Amino acid sequence: MNNSVKSLLAVLFGLLAGAVLMMLTGHNPIEGYQYLVQGGLKNPERIGNTLATATPLILTGLSVAFAFRTGLFNIGAAGQMLVGGFCATAVGLSLDLPRGMLLPLMVLAGFIGGALWAVVPGFLKARYNVHEVVSTIMMNWIAYWTVYYVIPAYFKGDSVETESRQLPANAMLRESWLSDMFQGSYINLGFFIAVLTVIIVAFLINKTTLGYELKAVGFNRHASEYAGIGVNRSIVLSMFIAGGIAGLAGVAQYTGNASSIQIGILPSQGFDGIAVALLGANAPLGVLASALFFGLLYSGRGFMNAMTDIPPEIADTIIAIIIYFAATSILIERLIRKLRLRRSANKKQED
Amino acid sequence: MKKGVISLISLALSVTMLAGCGSSNTGTEPSGSGSAGEETPKANFKVGMVTDAGTIDDKSFNQGTFEGIVKASEDFGLEHKYLKPGGETEADYTKEITNLYDAGFKFIVTPGFKFETAIFKAQDRYTDAKFVLIDGAPNSGEPGAEPVVKENTVSIFFAEHESGFLAGVAAALHVKEGQAGFIGGLEIPPVQKFNWGFQQGVNYANENLGTNLVINKENVVYQGSFDNVAAGGQLAAQMYNNGVDVIFAAAGGVGVGAITEAKSRAEQGEDIWIIGVDVDQYSDGIYDGDKSVVLTSAVKKIDAAAYDMIKAELDGNFPGGQTITLDAKSDGVGLPEENPNLSEEVLSQVDEVFNKIKSGEVTVSAEQGDLIK
Repeated sequence: MNNSVKSLLAVLFGLLAGAVLMMLTGHNPIEGYQYLVQGGLKNPERIGNTLATATPLILTGLSVAFAFRTGLFNIGAAGQMLVGGFCATAVGLSLDLPRGMLLPLMVLAGFIGGALWAVVPGFLKARYNVHEVVSTIMMNWIAYWTVYYVIPAYFKGDSVETESRQLPANAMLRESWLSDMFQGSYINLGFFIAVLTVIIVAFLINKTTLGYELKAVGFNRHASEYAGIGVNRSIVLSMFIAGGIAGLAGVAQYTGNASSIQIGILPSQGFDGIAVALLGANAPLGVLASALFFGLLYSGRGFMNAMTDIPPEIADTIIAIIIYFAATSILIERLIRKLRLRRSANKKQED
Repeated sequence: MKKGVISLISLALSVTMLAGCGSSNTGTEPSGSGSAGEETPKANFKVGMVTDAGTIDDKSFNQGTFEGIVKASEDFGLEHKYLKPGGETEADYTKEITNLYDAGFKFIVTPGFKFETAIFKAQDRYTDAKFVLIDGAPNSGEPGAEPVVKENTVSIFFAEHESGFLAGVAAALHVKEGQAGFIGGLEIPPVQKFNWGFQQGVNYANENLGTNLVINKENVVYQGSFDNVAAGGQLAAQMYNNGVDVIFAAAGGVGVGAITEAKSRAEQGEDIWIIGVDVDQYSDGIYDGDKSVVLTSAVKKIDAAAYDMIKAELDGNFPGGQTITLDAKSDGVGLPEENPNLSEEVLSQVDEVFNKIKSGEVTVSAEQGDLIK
């Protein structure tokens, strides 16, 4: 309850700061926000697009949040997502199976790919105490350049040299009934994968022994060891799961939202995942809500630009401000605590 | 207690101040746009643009296109707007095209081959809108798909090899004896054609105009991105250290890094040059007040292409369904009009070659043949 208040305050402050920025640059903030919301929700197609935009964010946010809960700072969601998406794409392009078999296989490949990419930093942390922030960032670049080499070498597109071949419709998460329901939106099965993952992770963290152990290691490594929890195993396992979830984000992005994988780009959703996790207070349901909010911002932004004179750069800045407030929600907590302390101190003085 | 009151008051003051200046701004703004509207009653369509990867001031593709749109908007009194997509997938591009369409911008210009699949779908979906695709042809993206240009779409290509050819001739004539290098961005057709044209131009000058400019294999490099500024600087440094006198950088932001490296070397008195791409990059290479390290630029007149298409639509002869290649003959490619670093003699020789390309006496191949990379 406290956490959700904090997050809502962060959003409110962010929106207020964005409004001030719009006013300072001579734009009407009410109009701006009105079109922002309309752009994300005006018709079924836009709602579908908002959900689709949010899908990878749900998963990367969940990946970062899960790692946070177990005491690890996973900055490598971008790389894990890229590898996960790459593995799924590779399976989709190489195997010719019926859809009912191919899709689960692709999702599995994506999960395993992302998971293995995160296990390396996990192992280095557990065994040699190498800080995961450094090693996951390095893994991002290894992923970037690996994909950069492998895609043109083995999965090169016909017309464009910087993308893989297009996935056949059979190997994509898009469903025509779903697109029709949302009037031509690019929403796809990835959204259901994301929601399902949120539920599974929430259950895992809150209701199982394994989740308890992983969290315990996050709270205090030495105490957990003393309590008989296999600390090294827990760290590696945490990273495995976190990486796997990020890998699923790659599956959703590259085989659902997009139909091919591009080289030379680290997916921005990987880094946005950190902000999503912070705003969602590292709770699975919080992550779901905050990812949907980010999806709305990203999805509605273009319509706001098109309908008003607010330049795209200002829209980006507004989003950045909201992220900033979300990321510094800990400051808000301190502020509240300080105000409370002062009030009680004042009360005492008056007494 | 007192402190709290003071901070509250100051907060309230600052908020009202901000609100005050905000309202005055919003007050003036509508009247401004209103007066612009009064001047321009005849415009019956609005021009929109979706940017490719990179920013609107990329000194290259986006900027060139947008400058053409801005100029046309001013000349003909049109409303214009650009949107920046959140990513580089077809879905991202389609989303922004839809946003423009929903907001009434029904003449949409998109620069770059990455829009091919998005335009392919948009031209069917929004039949009452017009699309201009620069450097690409709409296609479904499926293996072996044929380009489909519908009645409401124009696809524009440039003969980059001819532009590169002229830059090669100019470089050879200016340096006379030494080494040349090439830095490319991604290994994609437009960049490759610049490279191959450049090599042919240098060879042409060596064979016919008495120069001796050598291009070694190791000095022809594709960096692999359009935005890695630092890598551009490193590649340029490496080439200059190897004795290269002039580098042709067809690489967006990577080229900006190369120009920066060249500038710092020129400031220290080294006699080296760099050749810009897409737009006249002379001003980017300025050091010591008025000198520039940019010898010349291999120009694609993207701005003119965007401008001409808007004009054609106004005149009622939008060349829908066509694929247009702008080359030397149509003055769509070439060197900048002003080349302060090239002597009169060099310029007249380059002009001669340019005319020979126009007349067909000299042909430039768009294929690799036995050229490097």
